[in-house]
Amino acid sequence: MDTIQHPSATWEAASNGSVFYRRQQLYMLHGKLPNLDDYLIAGCKNGGPTALMRDASKLVALGGGRPPLAKSQIQVYSPAGESLLLFSWDQNRIVRFGWTFDERLVVLNEEGVYRLYDLQGDYQQFSLGNEAAELGIIDARIHENGLVALTGSLTLLEVKDWEGGRPLALATPGLSEPPHAWAVIPPEQSISRHVEVLLSVDATIIAVDNLESLDQRISRGPFLHVSPSPNGKFLALLTFSGILWVVSADFQREIVVLDTATVGAEGQVNQVGWCGNDAVLVTWNDLVLLVLPSRNNLAGETLRYLYFGATFVVTESDGARIIGHDVCDFIQKVPASSVSIFRPGSTSSSAILFAAWESFLQRSPKADENIRSIRSDLAAAVNECIDAAGHEWEPHWQRKLLSAAKFGWGFLDLYNPTDFIAMGQALKVLNAVRFYEIAIPLTYSQYQYVSPAHLINRLTSRNLHLLALRVSSFLSLKPDVVLKHWASAKIGRSKTSSADGQDDEVCRIIVDKFEKLGGGEVSYADIARRAWEVGRTGLATKLLDYETRASDQVPLLLTMKEDKLALIKAVDSGDTDLVYHVLLHLYKRLPLGSFFKLIEDGGEQLAPASKLLEVYAREQNREMLRDFYYSDDRRVESATLALDEAAQMTDPHAIMTAVNSAEKFFSEDKDRALEAKMMNESVRLLALQQQFEKDSDGKVKFFGQSVSETIRTCLMNGMSKKADRVKSEFKVPDKRFWYLKLHALTAMRDFDALDAFARSRRSPIGYEAFVRHLVEAGHLKEASPYVMRCDGPKRVELYMLCKDWRAAGRECKERGDKKGMEKLINSSPNSLIKRELEQLAASMK
Amino acid sequence: MAAASDVQNSSGTEQDNEPRLDVDLLKETARKALIDTLNAVNGVKTLVLDPTLAGPLGLVTEVSLLKHHGVDKMFWLEPGPLTSTTANIVYLCRPSIKYVKIIADQIKTHIRESKKHRYILFLVPRTSTLVSRILEEEGILGDITISSYNLQFIPIADDVISLENDNAFKEIWVDGDETVIYNSALALGTLQKMYGRFPRILGKGDHASRLATLLTKPFVEQPSPASEPLAPFDSLIILDRTIDMITPLLTQLTYEGLIDEFIGIKNSHVELPASFLAPPTAPNPSIPNAPTPSGSASVTPLINEKTKKHHLSATTDPIFAELRDLNFSSVGKRLSRVAHRLDEDYKARLQAKTVAQLRDFVGKLSGLQTEHQALKLHTDLSEMLLPKTRTDLFNKSLEVQQNLLSSYEVSAQINAIEDMIAQGESMQNVVRLLCLTSITSGGIKAKALDSVKREFLQAYGYNYLPLLLSLAAPPLSILLPNPLPVSTPPSVAANKYPFATLRKSLRLIIDDNPEALEEVENDISYTYSGYAPISIRLVQCVAQKSGVISNPAERSTADDVDGKGKGSSNKKLYAHPIVGWKGFEDVLTAIPGKTFDIVQKMPPSTNSTTSSVTSLLRPQEQTTTTAVFFLGGCTYSEIAALRWVSRQNKGRKFLIVTTGIVSGDSLIDSIANTGKKLSASKDASA
Repeated sequence: MDTIQHPSATWEAASNGSVFYRRQQLYMLHGKLPNLDDYLIAGCKNGGPTALMRDASKLVALGGGRPPLAKSQIQVYSPAGESLLLFSWDQNRIVRFGWTFDERLVVLNEEGVYRLYDLQGDYQQFSLGNEAAELGIIDARIHENGLVALTGSLTLLEVKDWEGGRPLALATPGLSEPPHAWAVIPPEQSISRHVEVLLSVDATIIAVDNLESLDQRISRGPFLHVSPSPNGKFLALLTFSGILWVVSADFQREIVVLDTATVGAEGQVNQVGWCGNDAVLVTWNDLVLLVLPSRNNLAGETLRYLYFGATFVVTESDGARIIGHDVCDFIQKVPASSVSIFRPGSTSSSAILFAAWESFLQRSPKADENIRSIRSDLAAAVNECIDAAGHEWEPHWQRKLLSAAKFGWGFLDLYNPTDFIAMGQALKVLNAVRFYEIAIPLTYSQYQYVSPAHLINRLTSRNLHLLALRVSSFLSLKPDVVLKHWASAKIGRSKTSSADGQDDEVCRIIVDKFEKLGGGEVSYADIARRAWEVGRTGLATKLLDYETRASDQVPLLLTMKEDKLALIKAVDSGDTDLVYHVLLHLYKRLPLGSFFKLIEDGGEQLAPASKLLEVYAREQNREMLRDFYYSDDRRVESATLALDEAAQMTDPHAIMTAVNSAEKFFSEDKDRALEAKMMNESVRLLALQQQFEKDSDGKVKFFGQSVSETIRTCLMNGMSKKADRVKSEFKVPDKRFWYLKLHALTAMRDFDALDAFARSRRSPIGYEAFVRHLVEAGHLKEASPYVMRCDGPKRVELYMLCKDWRAAGRECKERGDKKGMEKLINSSPNSLIKRELEQLAASMK
Repeated sequence: MAAASDVQNSSGTEQDNEPRLDVDLLKETARKALIDTLNAVNGVKTLVLDPTLAGPLGLVTEVSLLKHHGVDKMFWLEPGPLTSTTANIVYLCRPSIKYVKIIADQIKTHIRESKKHRYILFLVPRTSTLVSRILEEEGILGDITISSYNLQFIPIADDVISLENDNAFKEIWVDGDETVIYNSALALGTLQKMYGRFPRILGKGDHASRLATLLTKPFVEQPSPASEPLAPFDSLIILDRTIDMITPLLTQLTYEGLIDEFIGIKNSHVELPASFLAPPTAPNPSIPNAPTPSGSASVTPLINEKTKKHHLSATTDPIFAELRDLNFSSVGKRLSRVAHRLDEDYKARLQAKTVAQLRDFVGKLSGLQTEHQALKLHTDLSEMLLPKTRTDLFNKSLEVQQNLLSSYEVSAQINAIEDMIAQGESMQNVVRLLCLTSITSGGIKAKALDSVKREFLQAYGYNYLPLLLSLAAPPLSILLPNPLPVSTPPSVAANKYPFATLRKSLRLIIDDNPEALEEVENDISYTYSGYAPISIRLVQCVAQKSGVISNPAERSTADDVDGKGKGSSNKKLYAHPIVGWKGFEDVLTAIPGKTFDIVQKMPPSTNSTTSSVTSLLRPQEQTTTTAVFFLGGCTYSEIAALRWVSRQNKGRKFLIVTTGIVSGDSLIDSIANTGKKLSASKDASA
């Protein structure tokens, strides 16, 4: 226990002992890194790695122990100094590189091409566009969620997110020469929620966003360094004359003005950075100066940290990481809870609780005494101990503080241990990832900020799948993400050997693991896509078979050019939209002939797809449909299509042509003789109708009517000769003709003609039809005479329909139908008729 | 035809207190989704509505709601220019190519005239690649935002929910477009999410089987419903329309069915002469006469009179609830009984002596007036229907149907149909009868068929030739020659409908003689006056096995004879648990199409123990719901028949789920594509 320093041993007091800063050594580097002075460096926030590239502007001494990096190589080191990645750059000169939030290295060259490297060296490449390429990019600032590039014509381009989106031009700053220094306040930190660029031009600063460019009218410049604080609220500026000027971001409030010449450091200032949001770090070779505001002195206060050689500062939200030749340190303001407990002579309740617990360990009665004295504040003290545990780096002190908290809550009646448990879990995870082989020196507040899921992503991106899996199961997160990444990595790793047996093997391993670990929601399609990307089509197909969601499966099959399989899967899914997706895609890509062949060869299995294609084509692409039917010898469909078109046309000539072609198609199929004949009749009828229209000087419309309608129209317009002509030409049966004529003459109320017609010959439809039709049309009087010509037994009933009671009575009498008479009498409408009928009945006998 | 009288009445009016699924939940969901959809677009908007959606939407919302959510003006989605004063133009339509082209035209016109609008397209029920592709081809994909409004099942009665897709049948069996099946699967999935899983999925038919496969595929984790529904599902029975094409081809003879046949019910709305809906003139008129059997064949002047849309709903119209499922022949009697009762109720006023009694009466008055108004409506309506049922053609058509069902002198029936063509029978009915002939007798003699086809084309127009071809083409094949031509695919021959066998094994025809009258009244065959719909018989094969073999109500009528009329309802037997097709396997194999019976895994998580155990060992006390899904639509008569089945037993409720309500005419129309014209009526925008 004694070998471990007391937490306050590394503290340095400022502001009269009310504020402390501590320097925590994270890792020993022992010269694992080259001389930082010779390199351009970019550090990733939140305990991420650092990337180094040789600074071409500096001379390198030969034979300095380690071989220097070649000119266009970038090396990535973990905070513990282990090399994570080394890659060469084969493109034009690199302008800038930096890190994204998810630990990908962005490298931008002078042609506006930028790549996003993950820690495995795989990259995505995007470009800022042709215009940027022509102008050239002279500089850029990269922040976690985007970058701002300065073009050769001194305009600014912004890229948002890392999706390869089109760059947006910011307002033109109107520069005549490149700025002396510049910086970007990322959108998350700026007040406007849009990216803000600060350019040091002459003596002033120009602030540019997407709308306007604003001169801040400052006269202190020009500046060598412009550095915004992590929360974007303050700026640290260093003038050419070495004055450090810290102001609020709106330049309204001066916080520190310090002449760095007075510090006594040698050489140039290397870097101006921030330690959290409340102190500025200025570095020289051998010295890191911490400048913090002071209440009574505008020059502020300083703390000096000595290092050997050059250092690099990575600004974190709650402190700063210093990477030196020998060590990697973390400098931060000591958190309030730690101060409260560990400050020498502290009498806060948490300090007393901690003391009480130590006394308890030593079996001293003072423990009880101490607890009593802070009874009222005990809960707060417990919470403070838990919080402080989170801020301690050494597991030893973490454990002590948590034990003290646990000891304290034993004296409380009610205590909700959720925070305690969460802290315990978090610390366990943090200690695991801080371990030098993993080397993610994440502080507790950073961990809170980035979220556990993000931490797991960082582990997987280092291929630490086992640890990631354990962490995620420890935190009860779903293992899907890890499994997915693992599978992709697995495929990527085994890419060199792609013998057939290998595919099965890898596929089986992956599927087994998924099923065992319950990664039920992992999309096999994503993994299959990965396999396809590395050129392992066989494996991709095999994996894809396990994908249950056709909507994920099909698009990949299409990109893999597995056209038929894609179509089959789409059809099987039952999702017609997906089928359309495939069909339309293939229609675009394949030559028409092979497109049709694909569908036709599919047979029964692809029948639904073929049908859907027809539905689509009928509305949108008839030309294609015609070809489709034609190529498949589908005469009937071709004919139907022609008829369908005829139905939508208005021009008589075109209609007749279409019907003609339908006839032709039908006649090519020997089973369709009737249809062909009908179409022939149809054309003849249309021609006849045209002639009739001409004969009537276009007054009567015939075109498009059916045979029956034509006859009716003829009759209604007094063209009975023409009607007869239609009848004979189209062999209309007598029955139908008679009905048509009956209906037409009734509708015209031409009862004389009807009578003549009825007498013209014996009616093939009988006369009952006459009676009934006339009755239904309401012509009772006219109906009655026809009853005489009907069958005897029906007459009474028919007379009744005509309401011709007398005739009905007479009929009954004639037939001697007493029953009928009775019924008649019962249904008589009024007493007058009733009496008459009764008389008739009496006379019957 | 046999006149079914009032025996089913007692059960028709009976209020049952058994719990049933609350389908209003679906309406609420649809309504809320619509509001969310509209609110997703900021500010005032012009709504351009697909006319075929107006009806379904009318069932879930009202215009005022739309106005509340920023809809300034509404237009039909029709060809032609669109002028709008609002910045936002919202299109709401089904993803049909025809509509997309109209939209494209309108937007292109706006662009040409350099009018600036924001366009948002909501597709029902989901977005579609096809639509975006066409918009892309038209070059305006960038100008329009595409999203979706997920309108699924709409309750149209408390036991009927429908997708209200009028073209489902045609799309599946004529076009081969199976989108409806997929959408049905999604909608049924939603249903399961709301009311719990179907423990068992049974069904018949190739497309039904396809639907079942989609449904049992693990879509996404299905969370169990928030609360256990009162009457959880015991099974889902999926029937595709082609396993019983006979029923929709026949003329429906129930009240609601007949209204649909003669006037047409669209989305539960029927167009009636405005006078029918006018309030009754005097508050206490003499008893309105039940449809007078005067026989005066006065032609109802329907054409000239102004018509008005009326929502036929049993919830707001208690008399309709009583009447809708009755055989039309007993509607008159029932109406006069209601009239008497109403009269009695009015007379209560005269007996009101004290102020308290009077107040009591006044309290009931508004109810009486509503009922009075409804009575007038239904009296008018049945008076309008009556002459139509007396025409020569109508009765001839019924006769032909009946003869065909009993396979009596088939060739004479074909002649009769030819005569009907000559007499000017409607095209639809002729096609119905021809198809009926073909199905019941295994095809029409080739020569006779050719001649009747020729007659048909001459009478109605050569443009109906594609219709005839569609009817003959597989998979539909409902108008075939006999023997089949050599070139027909073997599947068609194998799928011949075994009507003669079914008639016997499913007891489809109940003889139309006085002795059998009683029997007709006690069986689902009352809906067609002597013919039991095959579809419902198949449901009975699963859910009421005894009903297939003999009339389940016989016992209760026997009790009735003993005296206590209504006592029988207490003695209703509990429905037997769902045990699959057991006992009727042979019958089902005979019918073409796949038969399936899938037991679904119940969600293992929450309340797993209780629900899975109850589904296995059904305690007799719990009422369960059997969902019956008609893929391709069902008729009102089938609904009536299924309600009748439901009434015979305790412990089982039916939820009728369908892609839409169909009738023979609507099926033929959709295949013939005559319903193409957008029937855009004016009042939806009122």
